[in-house]
Amino acid sequence: MIEQLPDWLNPEPWLNLDFSAADIERAIGADAPNEKTMAALLSPRAAEFLEPMAQRAQAITKRHFGRTISLYTPLYLSNFCNGGCLYCGLAADRRAQRAVLNEAQLRHEMEAIKEMHLEELVLLTGERMPEADVPYLKECISIAAEYIHNVNIEVFPMPESEYRELAEAGCTGVTLYQETYDQDIYEKMHRWGDKRDFFSRLDAPDRALKGGFRAVGIGALLGLADPTYDMLCVYRHAKYLLKTYWQAGVSVSFPRIRPQMGGFQADYPVDEKMLAQYIFAMRICLPEIPLVLSTREPRRVRDGMAGLGISKMSVASKTTVGGYSDDSEESTEQFEISDERNIPEFCEMLRTRGFEPVFKNWDATYREPAHYAKA
Amino acid sequence: MTNDILKVGDQELGSRLFLGTGKFSSTQAMIEAVKASGTELVTVALRRFNRDQAEDDLYGPLSLLENVKLMPNTSGAMNAKEAVRAAMLGRELSKSRIVKLEIHPNPHHLLPDAIETFEAAIELVKQDFLVLPYIPADPVLAKRLEDIGCAAVMPLGAAIGTGKGLSTAEMIKIIVRDASVPVVVDAGLRSPSEAAAAMEMGCDAVLVNSAVAAAENPAAMGAAFKTGTEAGRMAFEAGLMPTSEIAVASSPLTSFLSASDD
Repeated sequence: MIEQLPDWLNPEPWLNLDFSAADIERAIGADAPNEKTMAALLSPRAAEFLEPMAQRAQAITKRHFGRTISLYTPLYLSNFCNGGCLYCGLAADRRAQRAVLNEAQLRHEMEAIKEMHLEELVLLTGERMPEADVPYLKECISIAAEYIHNVNIEVFPMPESEYRELAEAGCTGVTLYQETYDQDIYEKMHRWGDKRDFFSRLDAPDRALKGGFRAVGIGALLGLADPTYDMLCVYRHAKYLLKTYWQAGVSVSFPRIRPQMGGFQADYPVDEKMLAQYIFAMRICLPEIPLVLSTREPRRVRDGMAGLGISKMSVASKTTVGGYSDDSEESTEQFEISDERNIPEFCEMLRTRGFEPVFKNWDATYREPAHYAKA
Repeated sequence: MTNDILKVGDQELGSRLFLGTGKFSSTQAMIEAVKASGTELVTVALRRFNRDQAEDDLYGPLSLLENVKLMPNTSGAMNAKEAVRAAMLGRELSKSRIVKLEIHPNPHHLLPDAIETFEAAIELVKQDFLVLPYIPADPVLAKRLEDIGCAAVMPLGAAIGTGKGLSTAEMIKIIVRDASVPVVVDAGLRSPSEAAAAMEMGCDAVLVNSAVAAAENPAAMGAAFKTGTEAGRMAFEAGLMPTSEIAVASSPLTSFLSASDD
């Protein structure tokens, strides 16, 4: 069922515009960037201006974030999933070794993470399952919060009341990718289950913030649909959240289709140059928000992109359940990580490039649900 | 300049340059810049206190410096309640009762919340902190904070990290004119000449971070800010010549006043 996207999101007016070289140059130097700036910087024409875009993105990043890169690490709680995502190796119809952490295993994982001195964590699950539902998440958040300062989730969307329970348990941020903002493709990609509800997912960051979360991370899975369309939507979505919940942290990630067990081929492949172009465009148009790059990307790309728009990176990612303490080596991973360096190796690279890796950038003393006037 | 002591509450400072400690490429680079700047007061975010990881911890290395006082700040707090809690924790960890009260509910532009800052200041003064609030360049707010016992006021020159300089110069001049506590321009400065300009205006000190941390050579820029701040202070003390918008007319308008009645 295709409904019109809301006005604050609809990218139509900025699609298929023609941009001259002068338009691109003006966009790169824009003082007050807007949708037209973004559209210009996303256009194929702008690909010829990758170097000046990189330089502007670097200057903005340095000004706002200094010479630092914030670090976080993901922790897979469960890979049970009833979802029908066509592109995911852990979809319900995929043959996968399923696992869920129990309390002792979680504590074991947390000790391993604490050992690495990381103070920002993202807990992940698949779609809502009896094995990993909200009461389970709540318990996991409380346990994780005993060990480290900043606990976040990347899980299934839920109602505001459940988000509030998790915020009260000590969770600060939620990452939730729309995957694609193209409803036709969204419908094809999500074959069954709760995730088929495009608008419920779209509204989930609002519900999380209303429920007391302090930060949301959004993004589109690059490769699923026309990237210009999706990147314009991500930009407009971020702007909407920033205006509506003006005290909330908003960040943008750039996940890209990677090889998985499902053998899914991207219909709109995004190569490294395109990825870089989109990150530069986002940085120029949203100078102040964290832009995140994960270990899905190969080390050469991660090394090069540090500080070129990107201000935050995941490290030592394990995409298996129990990956940090070798509790359950056999569980199937969600995607192959491309940067397998350990934390000292990764930090050494950052330092060589003149960046300080920041392990702790928040304090548990601020841990309480946020309140927004619009909530 | 050696006798030019700045008094902030009961604290005496020989340098009028305060330094922020975030955004540097390494703790080593930060410490070198602190030393080169000659600062005697540095601010460090509670959120960057990390006792578990020496390489990430800004507090430990700073606490070893001689002749440098620590001013924990409450950056990361969204409201008065959180800021008070952060200040308490910062004091406990650093043993310093000086606090940079910083409440920016919007994590992106980091502009200060006047209302929450005022409420937190009341409580922190009550709890015997030396409170230096980071505030919008609002002359009325500055006086209100002085009235409740803040040790200084720290209006912004421009938004944090923007390097837009003394965008709020006209308001800062009013704050300086009216203040009975030290006025410290905090945030927005990009170049030592802007620090000098703030000092020439009569500000008592400047606080910089990004301008030094994001410079090509942070230590050299720290030294340049030291010189800029000192030059501005010297100029202020020396008394700048007055400026005039109008030339003196050759036939003065008031000549009739000395003419006699016919």
